[in-house]
Amino acid sequence: MVTLLLAVLGFFAGLLGSLTGIGGGILLTPILALHFGIPIRQAIGTSLVAVITTSAASSSVHLQRHTTDIRLGMTLELATALGAAVMAYLVGYFNRSVLEGLFAAFLLYSAIMIVRSGGKLKPEDDSSPVLNGREVSIPPYEPKRYPLGLAASLVAGALSGLLGIGGGPIKVPVMFIFMNVPLMVATATSNFMIGVTAAASAMVYYRRGDILVEYAAPLAVGVFLGSLLGARLAPRIHTKIVVYLLVGIMLYLAGHMGFHLLRGVL
Amino acid sequence: MSQLREPAFDRIVALVLRTGAFGCFFIMLAGLIVSLFVGGRVPLEIERAGVLLMLATPVVRVVVACYLFFHEKDYRYGWVSLGVLVILMLGAVFGIGEH
Repeated sequence: MVTLLLAVLGFFAGLLGSLTGIGGGILLTPILALHFGIPIRQAIGTSLVAVITTSAASSSVHLQRHTTDIRLGMTLELATALGAAVMAYLVGYFNRSVLEGLFAAFLLYSAIMIVRSGGKLKPEDDSSPVLNGREVSIPPYEPKRYPLGLAASLVAGALSGLLGIGGGPIKVPVMFIFMNVPLMVATATSNFMIGVTAAASAMVYYRRGDILVEYAAPLAVGVFLGSLLGARLAPRIHTKIVVYLLVGIMLYLAGHMGFHLLRGVL
Repeated sequence: MSQLREPAFDRIVALVLRTGAFGCFFIMLAGLIVSLFVGGRVPLEIERAGVLLMLATPVVRVVVACYLFFHEKDYRYGWVSLGVLVILMLGAVFGIGEH
């Protein structure tokens, strides 16, 4: 019964994730912690498996469109993987309240940022790529400011290891604004990097026993199906409504986690 | 130097990722189906195999890219990939026997 519920949860998280471009991890971790009674550290480890699944599936699609800069991605992965592995290791020494507080704050912050950007989550929709049939043409570019990109990637990786998320909202703007990378390439490359980043921290979580296999498997199965369907539906669904649904869920989870935390402290 | 549009390279890396994602999906699904009929360790071990394959997929992707870079004599990015691989392996070692 719990298994079925987890698969359904994964399905909707995957669907929402691929419709809005926000990874499933940000929803899965708090739901596992609050509604399935899993300690937050295990909830983070378990949802990392779903994050890797989503990244592998979606970045193979981007790769086939040839919009991923593998060299740039690999270079920045030096920093994201390092940040993720080190932070995942340190998380072993954090107590539950600190993690829950950080997660609630992060949910609230992300929800506010989404609202402030006017619900525009998928920058690739606005960049109006030149489409020649199915081929996507990208203007020539040369990535700049590698030190800045590497520093930001280190932070994104650390956040990923800390909270079990992908870190796209940091990497995409840094590549686009500071490193002179076209938006479509930045989005695809960020997606490409998430798998390795999440794997770097997931291995640390796994060795520590913080990935609950009996929860991770149904979740990942659901997420996989949900993101496949989402990718099909995406062009036909009014994204703004979905985005506000996502914001609503995020605010609810942030509030619930805040209460949960206070009840534990008092 | 950074460049897009190396169709063969992209296709091979995409194939690795897609094989991993679909493979894990079917293994985990098999584990779930088996768990409907059999209790105990067997379905759990199948699911564990799926999870471990999922964790290994990005690592295999780095290994394959590393090989392709060295094969193309693009040594700079070959070494970068090798560096990522070393960090991933360190990450796996960090967590041993914790708590």
